[in-house]
Amino acid sequence: MKSSIKYMTSILLVLFSFSCFAEIVVIVHPSNASSLDAKSIQRMFLGKSKSYSDGKKVVAINQKKKSDITKDFAKKVLKKSASQLKAYWSKLIFTGKGTPPKEVSTDAEVIELVATNPNIIGYINASSVTDKVKVAGKF
Amino acid sequence: MKNLLRIPYFFIYLFFISTTTFADIQFSGFASINAGKVLSGTGVPHYDVEPTFLADYPLVSAYGEEVDFKPETLMGIQIKSDLTEGLSVTAQIVARGANDFDATFEWLYASYEVNDSWTIQAGKKRLPLFYYSDFFDVGYAYVWMRPPADNYTWQIFNYTGVNALYTGEVGDWSISGNIYGGEEDDPNNKLLGDFFFFETTREVWTNIIGGVFQMSKDWFELRVTHMMFDNERFRSGERVLFSGKMQQESKFYGVAANFDFGELFILTEVNRLDTEDVFDTRMISAGYRMDTITPFIAYSEFETDDVVDGENHDTTSIGLRWDFHDSAAFKIQYDKVKDNSFELAVAGDSKSLTIGIDVVF
Repeated sequence: MKSSIKYMTSILLVLFSFSCFAEIVVIVHPSNASSLDAKSIQRMFLGKSKSYSDGKKVVAINQKKKSDITKDFAKKVLKKSASQLKAYWSKLIFTGKGTPPKEVSTDAEVIELVATNPNIIGYINASSVTDKVKVAGKF
Repeated sequence: MKNLLRIPYFFIYLFFISTTTFADIQFSGFASINAGKVLSGTGVPHYDVEPTFLADYPLVSAYGEEVDFKPETLMGIQIKSDLTEGLSVTAQIVARGANDFDATFEWLYASYEVNDSWTIQAGKKRLPLFYYSDFFDVGYAYVWMRPPADNYTWQIFNYTGVNALYTGEVGDWSISGNIYGGEEDDPNNKLLGDFFFFETTREVWTNIIGGVFQMSKDWFELRVTHMMFDNERFRSGERVLFSGKMQQESKFYGVAANFDFGELFILTEVNRLDTEDVFDTRMISAGYRMDTITPFIAYSEFETDDVVDGENHDTTSIGLRWDFHDSAAFKIQYDKVKDNSFELAVAGDSKSLTIGIDVVF
């Protein structure tokens, strides 16, 4: 009994520390020279900001809703809980005022899309970064 | 003749092309399963109205003393077909318990994105009178069981016409707005027929023209709106004259300001309808997010200016929203309504309890 509690606690601790310390990076195409700060990234992923500082169109890409990175990104960058974010988008979807970013499943897919399209902005775990993309912000 | 026959084939051909090759069709939806009852109420004895809680005016969601699931239970399905190059068509089919679950197209419009800032929409849409009008049916999108009833009282809530939508940024401010125009002809208006005139009432709003301006930054959001329209009315087929005239010119004004500090949020809205009489409505609400639990309070009132014993009622509410699931929220709300008019009493005083679940999918 005692050992199972210990076991559970250590699992919880590992999970907890993972979600707290995993660093998220926001990535763009290497040719994208726009200045991006936390506020502008937030607005791009909420559909409020539609172009980069150089005038190019923004296409934001989300990861799967249920994934830890998406929840983490919502909390750290969008400053919303998963349900607040869902409420925010349902308000726009059902009034014809906006569509949430499309979703992909893995860091590798985000990298692939960002590397091939200068309009795309995405987020991945810091540990997945490759030289095919440019890091625009760390959270 | 031959040419005429060819046209339908052409459309059928187009239809197949679009569904099989180009069209990206997305389905989404929302539902609310609500139940409630009046705990105690006066009703309006001189109009033979039993104890009633009118939770929603335009749709006439009325609870009585027995537990009832029908008044506010609803389900909506949205179908959006993206025809590429900025063009899309959207339909929203809603079935409401208040209308015996008859499914109707409440929204049906084509949308064209002219550029990043402007979108033109044409068709049937919700009339954006109030802050919550547009997403009134999507309970998941707000904290209460329903937007405060005293504020959301107007008998017409959809229109058919054209809407130009703008979104943009000025410095750190997000700006959005729209300009719209159209009309609505409701052959059997439920609110006016069931609660005011007790006879079939045709309500017509023409020459609707209005605008909404919205700005937001960090924790602050402001919405200002104005609309003008001409009102015509027929009771049991007979035209109603407004001070001897066939139609009355009416004006609507609204201001909403919201303050969201993360955990604490405060929502306010004031509106005025200037028609044969001047009606003022206002509401204030506050809530506090504690992880998945959000308790809230609200107060709203409706009054008729400068009229002795004009329509006048207010509601004090307290409740709780619990986000127990990623796509669903449980809500419970207690409402205390005071109906202060005799001649224009609507549903009398009442205390009632409603609970429900809102989902989006």
